[in-house]
Amino acid sequence: MPSDSFNPFRVIPVLLLEEGRLVKTIRFSKPSYVGDLINSVRIFNEKEVDELAILDIGASKRGLSPNFDLIKDVTNECFMPLAYGGGISDANQVRKLVEMGVEKVIINSAAMARPALVSEAAKEVGSQSVVVSIDIKKTLFGGYQARSVSGTKKVAAASLQALVKDFVEAGAGEILLNNIDRDGTLLGYDHALLKQVCTVASVPVISCGGAADVADLGKAVAQSGASACAAGALFTFRGPHRAVLLSYPKPAEVNEALRTSSIP
Amino acid sequence: MKTRPYQICTHCVMDTSDPEIVFDSAGVCNHCHDFEHHQKPQLIGGSAGAVALDAIVTQIKEQGKGQEYDCIIGISGGVDSSYVAYRVLELGLRPLAVHVDTGWNSELAVSNIEKIVSALGIDLHTTVIDWEEMRDLQLAFLRSGVANCDVPQDHTFVAVLFKLAARKSIRWIISGHNLQTESILPEAWGYTSIDRKHLRSIHNLYGSRPLRTFPTYSLFDYTFYWPFVKRNKILKMLNFEDYNKQSAKQFLIERFGWRDYGGKHYESRFTKFFQSYYLPKKFGFDKRRAHLASLVVSGQLSREAALSELELPPYNEAEAAEDCSFVAKKLGINKSELESIIAASPKTYRDYPSNADLIDRLLRVKAKLARLLRSDK
Ligand SMILES: [Zn+2]
Repeated sequence: MPSDSFNPFRVIPVLLLEEGRLVKTIRFSKPSYVGDLINSVRIFNEKEVDELAILDIGASKRGLSPNFDLIKDVTNECFMPLAYGGGISDANQVRKLVEMGVEKVIINSAAMARPALVSEAAKEVGSQSVVVSIDIKKTLFGGYQARSVSGTKKVAAASLQALVKDFVEAGAGEILLNNIDRDGTLLGYDHALLKQVCTVASVPVISCGGAADVADLGKAVAQSGASACAAGALFTFRGPHRAVLLSYPKPAEVNEALRTSSIP
Repeated sequence: MKTRPYQICTHCVMDTSDPEIVFDSAGVCNHCHDFEHHQKPQLIGGSAGAVALDAIVTQIKEQGKGQEYDCIIGISGGVDSSYVAYRVLELGLRPLAVHVDTGWNSELAVSNIEKIVSALGIDLHTTVIDWEEMRDLQLAFLRSGVANCDVPQDHTFVAVLFKLAARKSIRWIISGHNLQTESILPEAWGYTSIDRKHLRSIHNLYGSRPLRTFPTYSLFDYTFYWPFVKRNKILKMLNFEDYNKQSAKQFLIERFGWRDYGGKHYESRFTKFFQSYYLPKKFGFDKRRAHLASLVVSGQLSREAALSELELPPYNEAEAAEDCSFVAKKLGINKSELESIIAASPKTYRDYPSNADLIDRLLRVKAKLARLLRSDK
């Protein structure tokens, strides 16, 4: 029997940054301001979250490097494992981030443009610290298309599954599967997509984009094969007015969700 | 500052740390007299209170018919507003809870709000104040050296509530303010937050970026437009019951798993720093004294208990040091600058442009107008 004093899988709040401001998007667009970064980090800290992910969604789009000063402020305040993504384009930046106290670096656009970056990063800091984020959009014909640069650019690949395998082979320690169509909608993860990726990935897959409630997190792990669950809107908003109020489920709720979803 | 011999009220616990305090021949202070004559009559507890409150509640329901919500309640995660949320539901009202996020929320505040709104099924609206503007304004107030440094949060809170009320055509605003626990507050310890001229003049002098989105309101809004054009009404419902903070707290803890955080209004990390450290350290004002005195005059605490609580220092050094580092970091200044702000000689609101005289006159006119309209009905 799992203990109710800790989560049976990692539950990861995702904070999005744009030009230093904390925002939340819907389907990767319409960013709305949700408050101060440092205070939010501090609140999640006190909520003792398993891991926190911060994604700078404006960096790659604007061709910027990670904002190291801001990240330093965060790592000073942050006692939980921190994953950072946004604007990372070379192995030196990866090393610098890890030296600053970032536990995991999340690479997206640069890895899509130049897959060798993943192996360079893994060589620099170890695979366990390298997460490749794959942003997915459904195509008109019901297939899945990987995108980069905040969802604006199509990634050329034989198939999504081939892409995942290539990144794992290159040294990605984890795959962050980010569903563009569900982002910020609270409509639930796309479990069909999740299953497709989890069956071919030999490393942990983090589900992200659309988490509806805690039960949805349990389902992603018990039924769709995810190793961890990330969510933005779910832990940021509350109720019909999408009122900003940071929250994080209790381990007992997460365990219960997993138990319920595990019943065949 | 002029020196005067130390004196403490023989009835409450206010003392000469209020520079404007006066005592009668029996050693009873002006705050005690003020409470007895002006505020106590507004406190209607027991069955008379219940009857009076019931009449107002009926009116609120009537006026809110067909609307999604019939009243607005502010919610901060503190005792008073949490308890009001519970009572409003119990009275069968349909509130919209409004939270103003000024960037200083503690985790306790956030989780208390979550517990209350989810247990009661209340819809929540949050207005997030732009942190860069908030930071700039808050820093401007600190640099100005005045004692009323919590004006930015207080002012914008009122602005948000009334603006939302106007947008959603909600007439009633139910407030957690109450005379049982906050009747006494020396004027010299602060200055009203309704004065936008004052807020802007301090920001013009010490701020560094424009306030583009920061919600504010004018004296015209406050004294005329909201009450007479929008016909907004404020109900301070706790004045109609035998509100006891201690038992309210206990109730919230048992019923909702609400958590206590020590001081009054410590749901904001700035307010905690400001009240427990900044004011006592820089000005010698200890807000606990006014709060405890309020409890004494309303009969919720014995004078002896209040005095012994005041024996304890207003802050503990280690915690204050931690709060200072956090506040400095969050305001984007180094600790030494915050220390020099605290060490600089105190100023009062009178050192800066304000509408103090006008406000005095307007509030008198507003009260007269309200009386006239009431006799009209
Ligand atoms: Zn007195």
